[in-house]
Amino acid sequence: MATEEQLIASAQAGSAAAFSQLVEIYQERLLRFLLVRCRSRADAEDVIQDTFINAYRYIQSYKPRWKFSTWLFRIALRNASKIGQLDEVSDEHVQADDSDPLEACIIASERENLWLVSRRILSTEAYSAMWLRYVEDMPVKDIAHALGKPVSWTKVTLMRSRRRLSNELAGEADATANGEAYG
Amino acid sequence: MVKLMDRLDKRLKDDAGLIRADISPEMQERIRASISSTYPIDQELQRPETRGVSLWLSSSLTGLAAAALVIVLVNWKTTVEPLEETSPTPSQTILSIPTGFPLSAETAELTIPLEEELRNLQSDLEKARENVERDLKMSF
Repeated sequence: MATEEQLIASAQAGSAAAFSQLVEIYQERLLRFLLVRCRSRADAEDVIQDTFINAYRYIQSYKPRWKFSTWLFRIALRNASKIGQLDEVSDEHVQADDSDPLEACIIASERENLWLVSRRILSTEAYSAMWLRYVEDMPVKDIAHALGKPVSWTKVTLMRSRRRLSNELAGEADATANGEAYG
Repeated sequence: MVKLMDRLDKRLKDDAGLIRADISPEMQERIRASISSTYPIDQELQRPETRGVSLWLSSSLTGLAAAALVIVLVNWKTTVEPLEETSPTPSQTILSIPTGFPLSAETAELTIPLEEELRNLQSDLEKARENVERDLKMSF
């Protein structure tokens, strides 16, 4: 079983098979992230396809200074923002799908998924920063690089987003406690 | 508060796991097909700084060649006379005074009024002396 570094080196040497293995490692992680960034599953799938094409095309420009996942998420974020801009332009002409792709993908639960709450109350960039920090366990420096933002901005955004979400969580806990009391 | 934050971190992680992100076989096939039809771009070809340096070098050389050509053309067939050797200190002072220049200058008569005044005073003095002598003769 080849390590990630070996697969990257082989892909840089021109091995499409090695890159396909990298795709298998990252495709679900990327899709999960993109499902909440994009307006529909079809958009998320388009973005993931473009992301892997771009990554393979420019694989030789990848430097191990950053993690491969950081580099890949950076490409995905760029592609997602392009799709977002196209969506904004075509909004007047195309009827948007009413069904929420994220909601459709979330396994039924008694309580609301916190990522749905996050998407509702946070900006797109703050949401992405939170995802990369708490799901992908990326260091702040890598998140800043992936988002193309300063480290200080990333730190402040993470702190504020976390506070807002914790307030939301506290409110939810209060509501549950009151419900139980009255119920 | 710390407890709440811990709960938040845990829920963020757990709830992310509740999002289904299954890649369908069609999707997998799409990705595989697009990768097989794509080729990595050679890094040497996509390096912009190499082109920048070569462009800078070629434009500098062209500029220098053009400047040299202009200098050559401007100085073409222009005779340059050698400078005369001059000593740092003057070895001979030559003053040429024109001779034979017609000098017909006249002296200014500035003393005439003064001489006349002197004569008047002398005559006045003579008259005064004669008066004094006459008075003395009269008294003695």
